Amino acid sequence: MSVSVGTVEERVWDALADVLDPEIPAVSVVDMGMIREVSVEDGVASVVVLPTFTGCPAVPMIERDVAAAVRSVEGVSDVRVRTSFDPPWTDDRITEDGRRKLKEFGLAPPTGKGPVLITEIGLPAVARCPFCGSANTRAENPFGPTPCRALYYCQACRNPFEQFKPV
Amino acid sequence: VSKALVSLLTALGDDELVLGHRHSEWTGYAPHMEEDVAFSSIAQDEIGHAAAYDSVAAGVVGGSRDELAFGRDPGDYRNAIVCERPNGDWAYTLARHWLYDYADDVRLEALEESSHPELASLAHKIRREERYHLIHADTWVKRIVRGPVEGRTKLIDAVSEVYVETLGIFEPIEEEAAAVAEGLLPVPSAELLARFVERTAKALDELGLPTEAQRLSDETAEFEASSSGDLIAGDRAPVELPASTPSAAMGGRSGRHTDDFKELWDVMTLTYRSHPGASW
Repeated sequence: MSVSVGTVEERVWDALADVLDPEIPAVSVVDMGMIREVSVEDGVASVVVLPTFTGCPAVPMIERDVAAAVRSVEGVSDVRVRTSFDPPWTDDRITEDGRRKLKEFGLAPPTGKGPVLITEIGLPAVARCPFCGSANTRAENPFGPTPCRALYYCQACRNPFEQFKPV
Repeated sequence: VSKALVSLLTALGDDELVLGHRHSEWTGYAPHMEEDVAFSSIAQDEIGHAAAYDSVAAGVVGGSRDELAFGRDPGDYRNAIVCERPNGDWAYTLARHWLYDYADDVRLEALEESSHPELASLAHKIRREERYHLIHADTWVKRIVRGPVEGRTKLIDAVSEVYVETLGIFEPIEEEAAAVAEGLLPVPSAELLARFVERTAKALDELGLPTEAQRLSDETAEFEASSSGDLIAGDRAPVELPASTPSAAMGGRSGRHTDDFKELWDVMTLTYRSHPGASW
């Protein structure tokens, strides 16, 4: 039998730590810094989610998973989930734990602040290879299989890889 | 206030939706794989931005964002005419992509200061994402300008063709006076147009391309002659136009569209019209 510890808010945060990003199931929405705030009043939990990219098709799934996880928390009778762009989600919201998990998943964590022009061809700043750690990488395409991923090639270990785009 | 807000959101959302649809037409057809991925991703971004604008609008007028995006008659769309033109060749696609993203940046910069907090934060977020589109467009234009003469010539021709219609992005929206007075649109369309002309003239000059802004005064008639003739009659009078902008580029903001839009609308809304409210 589980023993409830902490406040209801703390238990909601604990539950959210188990809600995985549907497109990157190695990290939680908390690791990604997507949860702006949690509040509970008279058993009604309110959660504000910051989407990483405006057009992220996973947002409805995330809203659904967040609502389901929070609803099961002891002391919560109802859940309200809403998305917001205030403040805009930025990649510096990803926790240290989240960065480590992204790398283990094979996805290079974002570097720097937004796209930085490094050469006249204007691709984002160089990413470090998540497999061998080399910085000898080449940006192939700032656009990848999802709005949040860019394509790279590691010239050291000769593996293609993806980076979570700085934004 | 809500009427002006909805007018503004509709213009913004329809530009992104309709151009996003055109970009998506490159999926499977682009000249090489990386560009197939790039245009598919840019299309996804733009349509996602449209969904975000439509969500705010749906909060005011009711209904769903899908209903707003796909459930309207052609004459109820408020996109600028330049967004609905077919992709044409690669040069036209890149010229429009480049000029549109300059125009979008000019207005997003202004909207970051909107008196409507939700729109202001949305504009701020979207602008951060749009930087990737600008980099993409700039990269291509620079590469072609420095390349062989054939590509350079095609690009110059395409920029000349698309430039005037791009100005229609800054045609005043319906309820413009109220939108400006309330601070929803903190900078009037005429001023945004002036900023766009100035910035693109500078960009063209830096690339060593002819500055199209200088052509407007003396070659307007030619542009009108080449791009008019296929307007679908709208049932509303066009709103007041900024001086020096040819009328053929205008009308989108009051629901006048070309036959190109009718063709696009048929495809874009087909699934929604066949199965309204379906979910999967």
